[in-house]
Amino acid sequence: MPTLSAGSSNNSGFRRNNASSGGRIAIIFVVLSLVLFTASARDTGTGPFSVVRGVVSTIVMPVRFVGAAVTAPLQGLGNVFANLTADQGTLSELKAENEQLKAKNSELQEAEQTATRLQNLLALQSTYSLQSTAARIISASTDSWSDTVTIDKGTTSSLAVGMPVSDSNGAIGQIIECGPASSTVRLISDENSSVSAMVQSSRAQGMLRGSADGTLRLTLIGTDQTVSVGDTVVTSGLGGVFPKGLPLGTVASVSKNPGALYYDIVVTPLSKTESFEEVLVITSLTEGQHATSEDIQSADNQGSSGSADAQQSQATNSDGAASNESGQNQG
Amino acid sequence: MQVKDTNKNRRDVAILAVVCLVLQLAVAPNLALGNGHINFALVFAGIVALTRGGRIGVICGFVAGLVFDLLGTGPMGVMSLLLTVASYFMGIEVRNRLAEDFSGSMIVYVIAAVAVCLLHNLTMFLVGQATDFVDVLFLRSLPSALLSVLAFLPFAYLISRAGSNSSLGGGIGSSRPKHSGKYNIGGV
Repeated sequence: MPTLSAGSSNNSGFRRNNASSGGRIAIIFVVLSLVLFTASARDTGTGPFSVVRGVVSTIVMPVRFVGAAVTAPLQGLGNVFANLTADQGTLSELKAENEQLKAKNSELQEAEQTATRLQNLLALQSTYSLQSTAARIISASTDSWSDTVTIDKGTTSSLAVGMPVSDSNGAIGQIIECGPASSTVRLISDENSSVSAMVQSSRAQGMLRGSADGTLRLTLIGTDQTVSVGDTVVTSGLGGVFPKGLPLGTVASVSKNPGALYYDIVVTPLSKTESFEEVLVITSLTEGQHATSEDIQSADNQGSSGSADAQQSQATNSDGAASNESGQNQG
Repeated sequence: MQVKDTNKNRRDVAILAVVCLVLQLAVAPNLALGNGHINFALVFAGIVALTRGGRIGVICGFVAGLVFDLLGTGPMGVMSLLLTVASYFMGIEVRNRLAEDFSGSMIVYVIAAVAVCLLHNLTMFLVGQATDFVDVLFLRSLPSALLSVLAFLPFAYLISRAGSNSSLGGGIGSSRPKHSGKYNIGGV
């Protein structure tokens, strides 16, 4: 059995030649890794690790850009797992939908699509009076445990950590890292993402959370509220990060367990982020885009008709909404 | 006669590193199975550890892990720690296992890939980057490991075929005759 300190001797069962098995240097690197892990865990987003990451992100941006262009036709392969686990009905619907999309897609030209997206972005910017900077998605997440995209603008374009990002359909996420020429955006579908949201028709307020399987769940909506399938979910503006009223998705299903205080609501996102799609980074909010005192009062009062536990939970919700929304960049 | 060409060895390792870095940046983000992505840092570390091993393998594992950490959004040092340890154990024999014992090398790599992906995601789960253990296991760790093994296969095949013609494929221990190894499959 070899030891960690094995050197050039050949007295073990393994062939070693004159080379070391690297035990000592492995121990040094293990200690160094632990030091890095401890130090980076304390990094608040403005420390040296963030600076180094920003520089690295800027350096490798051209490679990511080219990679996204080359692999764009292969992005559909990412749905293999979902297709394998989907039931027959879903697959049939998807096949039919796919045929329609193919037919529709063949009629459109890439330039027209780009023009349409840009027009929609301008329309969104105009509708919501957004003070924003346009950017383009250049890459998706490189790791398996976060749902992020990289955009081609950074601090040199006056972007900063915490700024919300939207596409032509509505809010898609928030900047969590910002380099000189690129930024990382955590999508609302990320497991660690939670956004203060409300049902547009009934004004019921809750939290829109992402999950590992990519679905969105609207939580903390009391069972005394009115929510229907197809309702639009928009940002509530609580927390002061996202502008009020920006679309997030539509209610796909509403269920209520016996005795439960809250609905179990699944929301279908309006946007599907893909490489080279144009997005808007909202750089600042105007006065009218913050939640009004009536909204805050409504959130506080929501659930007052429920039990004492419900009231306590709702109070926590109102506080948590603000802290979680603004705290997205901490994850 | 075995001629040790250090410069050629370094050049081959550097070329492999650049290829894996480009693939990690360009291909890995755009190919996914569930939430799993290919870990080309693991592929690079595995190849160097199984063809060179020893000190070089450990250094390459650490650097590959560090680059992977830098390209991600999580805490630094996790992947570098895992790849350092994985490279040490994969390369502990300090010989070209890939050329001499392909099936055995594959088994070692598969075990390392599953362990690295599982421990990496488990660490992220423990530091609060993920909330559901089942998702961590089935949507992230296993798909990542599977994809990383699949991505390793063409590299391993090419390098094992290259044999003594390549420094990566036959650097240390290339004078040793090929054999099918302990894990003989189908009498190969």
